[in-house]
Amino acid sequence: MLHPSPQTFAGAPKSTAARIGIGGPVGSGKTALIERLIPVLRARNVNLAVVTNDLVTKEDAERLRRSGLIEPERVLAVEAGACPHTVIREDPTLNMAAGDELEASFPGLELIVFESGGDNLASTFSLDLVDWWIFVIDVAGGDDIPRKKGPGVLKSDLLVVNKIDLAPHVGVNLERMLAEASAVRNGRPVIATNARAGDGVEALADAICRAVLFRE
Amino acid sequence: MLHIDSVVGDRAEPGLHRRLHHLEHHGAVETVTIASADMARRRLRLTTPKGEELAIALPREQKLFDGAVLLIDDDRAIVVRAEVERWLRLQPASIADAVELGYHAGNLHWRVRFEGECLLVALEGPAEAYFARLDALFAGRSIKSTVVTQDLAA
Repeated sequence: MLHPSPQTFAGAPKSTAARIGIGGPVGSGKTALIERLIPVLRARNVNLAVVTNDLVTKEDAERLRRSGLIEPERVLAVEAGACPHTVIREDPTLNMAAGDELEASFPGLELIVFESGGDNLASTFSLDLVDWWIFVIDVAGGDDIPRKKGPGVLKSDLLVVNKIDLAPHVGVNLERMLAEASAVRNGRPVIATNARAGDGVEALADAICRAVLFRE
Repeated sequence: MLHIDSVVGDRAEPGLHRRLHHLEHHGAVETVTIASADMARRRLRLTTPKGEELAIALPREQKLFDGAVLLIDDDRAIVVRAEVERWLRLQPASIADAVELGYHAGNLHWRVRFEGECLLVALEGPAEAYFARLDALFAGRSIKSTVVTQDLAA
């Protein structure tokens, strides 16, 4: 196994901001969740910034900048250009550079949220880019999504099932969907949310604070 | 909760090795075993065998590794042991099967290594989950499969 050279350890700088990923299919509500998370995390005095990934635009970044929830300069956009998997997994260099830029601009930054460009169930985050990541699906996408066992569903540190308010309107048995999600993940955490109303967002913030900010 | 914000060094370094050897005689070295899938993380929470909670937050240019010393002082030390990685060794019987297997593994974004005429797939979950994805490929073909540990795959 390759080890860092011993000189790496001498005078090692203190750790930098925690980095988390939020991925999931197009339309599952990733940006809406971030819009709900920002005020909840800021109320807990978390110093944060966001990097959005879009295919060929800065649509999500502009939406957050206009939201008034966060200073616009704390939101950077990465344009994936093609396959959105690539910039969060195979070669996350652009996102890592965006994270570094935010840390340089905002000393004391504690948390950077990387929102993936919308994708299918196969996207996963490189742990070179993030420390911990969330995958967001929604009930309107179908209650069979957990059973399809996509890598995002299986490998994420936390699975969020969003738009739970829509379950009765799209014929989804929410209880069964959540149970199946938990089963395919071998009991790893699953949280149900309704980003529009803010339901479950405090629990989501709790999970983030506990996992990477080490707050109880 | 004990916060660890950098790796002290490698347990194999002579200076650290001596100090660890001394502490081991006093039963004062704790080893925390980390799953292979978690070794790439810079931030994680762990509980030591004695029940102490660790909050690890490394600088981005550092990584955990087998033998990383997280803490050492006159009274005790904490050292990382990387869980032995398991690999699925697949041996196709023909070039045609090998090409299709390689395509399939790439399409599933599996982490692989090569060993002669075998493809090694890193198991980051139950082997059954990997076999389930290979069912269609195995049908009517001759591909030998075995699960091996990191040492065997090295």
